[in-house]
Amino acid sequence: MMIFHTGLPTHDSNQKTASLLSIILICLASVLSLLLSGCQDPPLAALEKARLALKNAEYVGAKKYAEAQYREAEKSLQDGRMEVARQKGRFSPFRNYKRGDSILALAFESANKAAADAQDFHGELKSRADNAYNGLKKELASWRDALDGSLTLFNAEKHWSTADMALKMSQSLIIKDEYEEAIRAVEKGKKSLVQISQVLNEYANEEAQKIKVWRRWVNETLEDSRRNGTTGIIVDKSAHKLYLIKAGKLIHTYDCELGYNSAKQKYFAGDGATPEGKYYVTKDRHNGSKFYKALLINYPNETDKKRFAENKRKGFISRWAHIGALIEIHGDGGRKDDWTDGCVALTNGEMDHLMQYVSVGTPVTIVRRSEAWP
Amino acid sequence: MFKYVSILLVTAALLFVVGCSKAPEADMQAADVVMQAAMTAEAEQYVPQSYNMALDTLNAAKAAKEEQDSKFALFRSYGKSKEMFIAAKALFEKATTDAQAEKERVRVQVMDMAANAQAMLDSAAVALAKAPRGKGSKADIELIKNDLESVKIGFAEAKADFDGGKFLAAKAKFEAVMGKTQGVINEIEAAKAKKAGN
Repeated sequence: MMIFHTGLPTHDSNQKTASLLSIILICLASVLSLLLSGCQDPPLAALEKARLALKNAEYVGAKKYAEAQYREAEKSLQDGRMEVARQKGRFSPFRNYKRGDSILALAFESANKAAADAQDFHGELKSRADNAYNGLKKELASWRDALDGSLTLFNAEKHWSTADMALKMSQSLIIKDEYEEAIRAVEKGKKSLVQISQVLNEYANEEAQKIKVWRRWVNETLEDSRRNGTTGIIVDKSAHKLYLIKAGKLIHTYDCELGYNSAKQKYFAGDGATPEGKYYVTKDRHNGSKFYKALLINYPNETDKKRFAENKRKGFISRWAHIGALIEIHGDGGRKDDWTDGCVALTNGEMDHLMQYVSVGTPVTIVRRSEAWP
Repeated sequence: MFKYVSILLVTAALLFVVGCSKAPEADMQAADVVMQAAMTAEAEQYVPQSYNMALDTLNAAKAAKEEQDSKFALFRSYGKSKEMFIAAKALFEKATTDAQAEKERVRVQVMDMAANAQAMLDSAAVALAKAPRGKGSKADIELIKNDLESVKIGFAEAKADFDGGKFLAAKAKFEAVMGKTQGVINEIEAAKAKKAGN
């Protein structure tokens, strides 16, 4: 009885306990499910993806060629990393990686854009440098053709050589991927080429101004020869011809060689130019010259002396410069090149021929260009 | 009863001490300062791998600190991030030293190149001074003089880059200078041979 009595309340209490336990279990399950739903995985894949994209951007040179975009991607990656870390530190039900995910996606995009921009810019810059280099190379070759031969202008040659140095530098810089420096070197080279144009323009202007004077000198020499029935010599530097005239008529034409800087007027000793002016033979040297026969002319004449003094005064030539002397028409020529210091050279046979007609006092007119004559 | 209360109080105090560990702000600042020094030393340019490794470590340390910062104070532990900041600092210091050494190595290399270029220029000038002066080679000599002048201009340009710390550009320019100087030396030899042939 006693046992039966105590059994009934025990059964009721068990039922109650079971109900209570069920409620607790339901509550716990709810909390657990809430906890589990709050436990999102951190976006490690997105983080790794963005990190690799940034490495790739660096590899293709984004730090150099798309720096702003690269730094933006770098900052986004770090911001994303920090946001993920911040969320990881929170109590799991409250974690939310959405913001971190979107920042990392932005970092990935920025890194890819930086890589693409770097590749585009690198390609464009390389192509610009290559084009600039090839352009300068072409221009230099064309100037080389223009400067060679009779047009030996040393000032122009100097600028050409400076441009050539710039070309070589740009080539070396392109090999080392220093494209911007290479472009700068080409620009410097181009400036030197502009200076060649200026030198040649000055030369052309000088010629245009002097052509009338040269024509007058030629006409005066011809007229004197015609009037007095005498012999005369006219040298046309641009044609590389020496004309022997008598009584105003052409007797013979000789090919001649000149000073190595023959395209210019002679300004001072050692400039390699053949003088332009009206001269006459002061001495005929059948022997005594270091060349095979020679006719010495009266360089410098009064005009030369005046010009020399004027140029010195204006500082166009060094104050230590000398005017020079000993300009001759001499033998040992026939080298097919302008090689003298300023003299006029003929072959020995032609020198023998010329000496038959010429004597001391024979006028010698030297012009850069005689144009209409003979 | 008193025993239980004491245990509880000690436990709470320990949790408080451990949980409220101090953030490694000083270590982070020290690492940032060393990073700036590495940047000043151009470590990013001269030793990119070492610099990137140091930067990755610093960024990871900052993230680890951030994770702890966002935790409930009692559960914070900055031991790992502190270690990482210290490691990052050491890596930046190494990157700085390595960058300085690498920069010096490049500088010495370009300086040697400049000395070689100068020696070549000097020998070209000597050869030009000794070149035959007689008629027939004078025009060639004058043209070679021009070339030598342009090489001198190029040398000065490369030297200016070197003095300005632009070692890579200077290196490329000195190479071009040496190339052209060799060309000048060859021209002088050719002029001598031409004269001898006359």
